[in-house]
Amino acid sequence: MRRFVTAAKKSATTPKIALGKAAACAAVALGMLVAAPSEASAQEIQLTGPLKGAPAVRQLRLYREGRLEIAPTFSFTFLDEYKRTMFAGLRLQYNIKDWIGIGAWGAYGVVNSSTYLTDRINETSPRNDQTSANVSPNKASGFNDQTSEMKWIAAPQITLTPFRGKLAIFQKLFVDTDAYFHLGAAFVGVNERGDCGAAGQTKCTAAASFTPVSRTAIAPTFGLGLTFYASSLVSVGVEYRAFPFAWNRAGFDSRGGGNDGKFPDGKVDSQDRTFRFNQMISLSVGFFPQKRQSSE
Amino acid sequence: MKQAHRWLPILAALALVGPLASGSAHAQKKRGGKKPSPQAPAAAPAAPAAAPQGSTDIELDAPAAAPAGAADPNAGAPAAATDATGSPSGGICEIDPSACPKELDVKAAAQKQVNAEIYAVQQIYALRYHRLELQPYWSFSLNDQFVSHPGPGLALNYYITNVLAIGVNGNLYAGLNNDSDFNFQNRRATRVAVPLNEYQWNANVNFTYVPVYGKFAGFGDFIFHYDAYVVGGAGVISTRPIAVIDPDNRKFDFEPKLAFNAGIGLRIFFNRWFAANLEIRDYIYNEKLENLSVGRTAAEQQDKATWTKDNSLTNNVQAQLGISVFLPFSWEYRLPK
Repeated sequence: MRRFVTAAKKSATTPKIALGKAAACAAVALGMLVAAPSEASAQEIQLTGPLKGAPAVRQLRLYREGRLEIAPTFSFTFLDEYKRTMFAGLRLQYNIKDWIGIGAWGAYGVVNSSTYLTDRINETSPRNDQTSANVSPNKASGFNDQTSEMKWIAAPQITLTPFRGKLAIFQKLFVDTDAYFHLGAAFVGVNERGDCGAAGQTKCTAAASFTPVSRTAIAPTFGLGLTFYASSLVSVGVEYRAFPFAWNRAGFDSRGGGNDGKFPDGKVDSQDRTFRFNQMISLSVGFFPQKRQSSE
Repeated sequence: MKQAHRWLPILAALALVGPLASGSAHAQKKRGGKKPSPQAPAAAPAAPAAAPQGSTDIELDAPAAAPAGAADPNAGAPAAATDATGSPSGGICEIDPSACPKELDVKAAAQKQVNAEIYAVQQIYALRYHRLELQPYWSFSLNDQFVSHPGPGLALNYYITNVLAIGVNGNLYAGLNNDSDFNFQNRRATRVAVPLNEYQWNANVNFTYVPVYGKFAGFGDFIFHYDAYVVGGAGVISTRPIAVIDPDNRKFDFEPKLAFNAGIGLRIFFNRWFAANLEIRDYIYNEKLENLSVGRTAAEQQDKATWTKDNSLTNNVQAQLGISVFLPFSWEYRLPK
């Protein structure tokens, strides 16, 4: 519509086109007579003039196209049941076009903090036969130590940036912005209670069985984010990421027994892992060492 | 005769090409106007600034009428309106004499006081000023892994200014609270019960402030507008504990409690009156928690005063996903684009 108005204004202020306009009107009138049975065509706005076929934005600042991005990140998980993790990381991404880039994000868990529930279980859970396979007998910080935690993440990913624009803050500050989606595979280093209770393994009631062991979980990762370009070299970003996978967050023996496998079986193993939609928020500062281009 | 017949079409073609040729010269006028052809001054010495022969274009930068009129007051308008051949020279003065710029007008216009205030965005795509926003939504709890509290909601906001609104909103949770399986698994494994609560409804009075707005080009093809806002207010939330510790004796009633709320939201406009909304809102209130200990006697166990013990400042963070409809649907801008 905006294009149409602009084109109309242009023609109205250029009398030398008046003859052509009259001819065009006649042609349109004739065309309408000929095409009268087609209702759809009568509704179309035929864009004419210099903006015909023009892109939505001219001289668009291409912050991404052909540029490498180096972005330190800070991330934190949320909606955690037993333990939260804060990550320090780095994203390296090469943007093939302004709308597509490939890269990888890696982060290391620098802080693992227990939730209210974890502290409460550690303080109040009775240590007896009913809980001996599930709660560490060490009351000092036993339950906190047995709960699983994420230690690191590496995620090769593809980034799609379909939306480019700008925002005004308080009608004073104007920032070029883009919105993007990312999709990839996440390799997550998890410290999780080791297997116990099976033949040849430690009994699950033994204190030694509560010691976590490392494993690598593989999960899909996807999310979306916003990038705010402070200058052609520096950006600030906020990003949501989901990376769902199954893990035994508390180290409980809660599956594997009964008719449907939903009851304890005296063993802790992969059957006790339950699916979790893990989520995090990341904040980043991006640096673009290469020169920025502009569209036509 | 044969030869004459052969030449007739050529002559006819030349006769047709003649006007077209002058038309093509017309199209070149912008360059020709600045550098008149040598024949023009010779053909029309009385009007050196006049357009070249055959031209009907407008040359506002070189007002031919005024010098000609000054040189020969008697010739005046006819000299300005015609070229050396006597044909009309065209221009805005001929099309609409009232719109013809006069030297005096230009001087007056130059001295005229103008409002120099220029807005960064002259016409905001979706004005909110003095419009009512109807905002139905569906909410999901974000921070309660024990009991989820989904439910429908409705917000009404009236924009006092383009960026500030006062409004009300309410949520209905009754019958939709969901005690997750995670609670059961946790209780069975650790023999520790966590006090749980469920919600019935809430109602709030809010202020909304819209500090951020902008637009996005989608796939480099279409443009859509969005804004981001902060919202805050106070209201009432009706909640009750879920009997976990002693469900045989304890039956809690819903009680309204004072609640404060704060949040942020993003609104994406599909047109000037219809938008999609995503809002994160934190409802903060003082929750009564179930007493974790049970009375020794039946009388103590059935004494309602012993059913609750601790109070806890509770954050109910929820995502609200919905639509916005602005009324009235249309308006007129005060200033032109």
